[in-house]
Amino acid sequence: MRRQNTDRLYVLEIPLGNTSLLLPSAKIAEVISIGRLAPVPYAPDWLLGVTGWRSLAVPVVSFEGFLGGHRMLPGAGAKIVVLYPLTGRNEWEFVSILSSAEPRPRSVEEAGLVTAQEADLPNSPYVAGGLKTPEGRLLIVPDLEALKTTFYPS
Amino acid sequence: MAPSQHQYLRLVIGGSTFLLPSVMRYTIEQRDALSENTASQSPVAAWRTVRGTRWPAYSLGPDLATRPAGDWHRAVFLEARPQNVGIIVDEVQLLPRGETEIAKFTPLGPAPTRFGHLFDGAWVSGRDVTLVFEPTALIGYLQSLGE
Repeated sequence: MRRQNTDRLYVLEIPLGNTSLLLPSAKIAEVISIGRLAPVPYAPDWLLGVTGWRSLAVPVVSFEGFLGGHRMLPGAGAKIVVLYPLTGRNEWEFVSILSSAEPRPRSVEEAGLVTAQEADLPNSPYVAGGLKTPEGRLLIVPDLEALKTTFYPS
Repeated sequence: MAPSQHQYLRLVIGGSTFLLPSVMRYTIEQRDALSENTASQSPVAAWRTVRGTRWPAYSLGPDLATRPAGDWHRAVFLEARPQNVGIIVDEVQLLPRGETEIAKFTPLGPAPTRFGHLFDGAWVSGRDVTLVFEPTALIGYLQSLGE
């Protein structure tokens, strides 16, 4: 995670349907606009398809699919957040998450954000924790190791 | 990324385009060289009979699941053991050597066949992606469809 001189942690808020994800900015390669997604036969429900990016085929994932809800489909204003390959994976294995709107940079230390209680969090092995905004909105921190195990089961 | 040294067969299956590396032997057969399968419960769309052996040809949708064959004209048969298997295609074209640049690609999630994932590469042109079959897995998948 990118730290500057102070102890600030820089993260990106990725809006989903009813909630948002928080990911360290250092994990994110690029935010791109949505294009045509090529379907992958026999892919899991949470995989929306693949998109071309820097001469690579990058899978596009709906994180809602991991929260037990309906997978989010690309709508107006949707973006694709391309992540660097997860720890230990090959250098070409970029993955991406569908965002319902333009992600925005935040700082974990900004005023008003508090740690979410367990009762506030979705009951999912893919959720590592969360924060709540002063307005009560939940920002979910995904469990990247759990995602990696599901993405690459063998 | 350097152009690939392999040649690739461009297959349009159920309206979707895929590539197959031409590392295996294949034949393209016209519909009139095959006999329609009239067994209603069978996933096989047509048979090619060669020296007393029947090779199945499957009609697939863009999701690669079997579907009833509509108006079709040709099938591509892949050399395999114990018997060759075929796919009904909308179009088939051998791309010139060096025209394609294939990137490595790892599909996410569990492999749908016991031979692994159906794809192991992709041809990316701007934002457009054409998936490249892994030949062993494709043949294993087709053979698993049964007769």
